[in-house]
Amino acid sequence: MRVKVQNLTKRFGEVTAVDNLTAEFESGKLIALLGPSGCGKTTMLNMLSGILPVTEGQIFFDDKDVTDLTPDKREVGLVFQNYALYPHMTVLENICFPLKIKKVPKAERIEKAKEFAKMVHIEEYLNRKPKELSGGQQQRVAIARALVKNPKLLLLDEPLSNLDAKLRVEMREEIRRIQRESGVTTFFVTHDQEEASAISDYIMLMKLGEMQQFDKTRNLYNQPANLFVADFIGSPTINQLHGIYTEGGIKVDGDNQIIKTNNKWQVEEGSRVVLASRAEAITFNDKDDIKTKVVEYYLSGKDTLVNLKIGSYNLRGYIDATKAIKIGDNLNIGFKKEGVFLFDELTGERYYE
Amino acid sequence: MKNTERNKKIILYVILAIGAFIMFFPFFWMIVTSLKTGFEANKVPPTIFPAKPTLDNYVYALKTAPFLKYFKNSLIVTIFCVTITMFNTILAAFAFSKMKFPGRDIIFAALVAMMMIPFEMLIITNYSTIVKFGLYDTIIALIIPFTSSIFYTYILRNFFMSVPDSLYHSAKIDGASDWQFLWEILVPIAKPSLVTIALLNAIACWNSFLWSILVINSTENRTLPFGLFAFTNETGIRYERLMAGATIVVLPMIILFLFARKSIVTGVSRGGLKG
Ligand SMILES: Nc1ncnc2c1ncn2[C@@H]1O[C@H](COP(=O)(O)OP(=O)(O)OP(=O)(O)O)[C@@H](O)[C@H]1O
Ligand SMILES: [Mg+2]
Repeated sequence: MRVKVQNLTKRFGEVTAVDNLTAEFESGKLIALLGPSGCGKTTMLNMLSGILPVTEGQIFFDDKDVTDLTPDKREVGLVFQNYALYPHMTVLENICFPLKIKKVPKAERIEKAKEFAKMVHIEEYLNRKPKELSGGQQQRVAIARALVKNPKLLLLDEPLSNLDAKLRVEMREEIRRIQRESGVTTFFVTHDQEEASAISDYIMLMKLGEMQQFDKTRNLYNQPANLFVADFIGSPTINQLHGIYTEGGIKVDGDNQIIKTNNKWQVEEGSRVVLASRAEAITFNDKDDIKTKVVEYYLSGKDTLVNLKIGSYNLRGYIDATKAIKIGDNLNIGFKKEGVFLFDELTGERYYE
Repeated sequence: MKNTERNKKIILYVILAIGAFIMFFPFFWMIVTSLKTGFEANKVPPTIFPAKPTLDNYVYALKTAPFLKYFKNSLIVTIFCVTITMFNTILAAFAFSKMKFPGRDIIFAALVAMMMIPFEMLIITNYSTIVKFGLYDTIIALIIPFTSSIFYTYILRNFFMSVPDSLYHSAKIDGASDWQFLWEILVPIAKPSLVTIALLNAIACWNSFLWSILVINSTENRTLPFGLFAFTNETGIRYERLMAGATIVVLPMIILFLFARKSIVTGVSRGGLKG
């Protein structure tokens, strides 16, 4: 099912949790709602589910306006951060509950529940109570319960945040698999950019209730819309050199060189800018002429992650591990064309080529 | 280390045994006295077990006073009071905990404040209300004033509040109405609290005395405590007979307790408190 939100706004008194958000979400895709804590992800999800009434704006499922429909009429499945399983019911009864409410005959609903239990690999635990399950198992029960009624939309609110690192990776692959198999349009809330990148088709990145960028997952990394997006996405964090744009290059604070890159930006002379670069966009060729100093380095397999200093800023890059370096060395670097961006320092807006 | 722990246990058991004995002795004395003859009951020093156990006192008690009728009345009053009170309490507690409506908390605070009005003050107004409704000397008069309870509502509301809102939202998303959420999810989760409340309520109803003396006149509408009171007046100081009457009155409560104890235990373990 296609989802569209138009000028969606939610205010709690003074706080604007979601601010005038307009976007259209393709059917059958997995969309990550990403952003730092308090940016309005849960609020957004709860408005989609109907738990929270909207302050302004509209929500469309396909072409139907569902803004004023209550949760029970929206045909969505929601997995809460704390799973919200019914503690007095067994796993089987939990999964059956939505069907029981729909008055599906008993034999049929048990059969259906078992089918979904199998899909999420919990068929051995059908007679246990939620308290007798691990976090990961509880989560899978919650997913099965959300899917069993054939929802048109699946909403997941930080479903992995209670799990340990290994289980997180396992479960996110599981969720991806389940989503592909069922083909249901899915929203996945997380504040972990790595998780969002690993699992989603699209990412919507938010900050203080405002949408920063909504695009294909790769594009947030390759084509960040502003400095916030560039900074939020990617590990290690994108390099940022603050300085003044002058003579067709950037003069970094605390340094005398004028850095010229292969990009052609139209920037007014004397503007304050931020030159942002991915670690893998830093080159160490012989003809490179930007002077830096080695501050620290970390061996990691075939590459060495070096921490370099230019003026008052640090910069990280990957250098061939066969090259001998030591702290305090002078090292010349260059920039590739890809993975290098220029932003206005004040507004964070990107200068396009 | 081991020894002190064992000593602690021994002391604990001794204290518990003494406590149990103190609690149990009056009941024991009541029952053995009811089985004695008039002569033996007043003997000094008293015998512990009756030399010749006799049921004469029970025969006398049942002959002089219609205890079976009283019992039936008590049962009706208790069942209706408890059922209606529980129903009202559950609905009120749900409204005051999970539903959102303007003034909810103010209304609830006002209700709680009303708990401070002593029962004795209400008796007069309740009495005149009952009389005006033409319910004087009817069983209904014993039921109607006790079909809701702020205190139980308060206890249950607190329990309902401790149930996370996400369960409510989850049920809504699963398609449940408020009514279905209440009966399919909230009430089963609250079962241990509900059993406790129902028991407290049942005991209070069963033992309610002052009110029944006020609004009941005829013998056939008396409940057990009132009946026993009347029986006492008629019997004088024949202790063995009084004790037989008292045993008849108390026995159902004891039996209920024996059953209820079981359902409390299952209620608690069903509620999932064991983790
Ligand atoms: N019921 C509420 N009343 C008042 N303010 C609220 C309420 N719910 C959320 N907010 C505020 O709205 C903003 C967005 O909250 P929201 O829960 O959507 O954040 P989030 O992105 O889900 O954060 P997190 O990652 O910490 O879960 C926050 O500033 C929060 O304080
Ligand atoms: Mg949240």
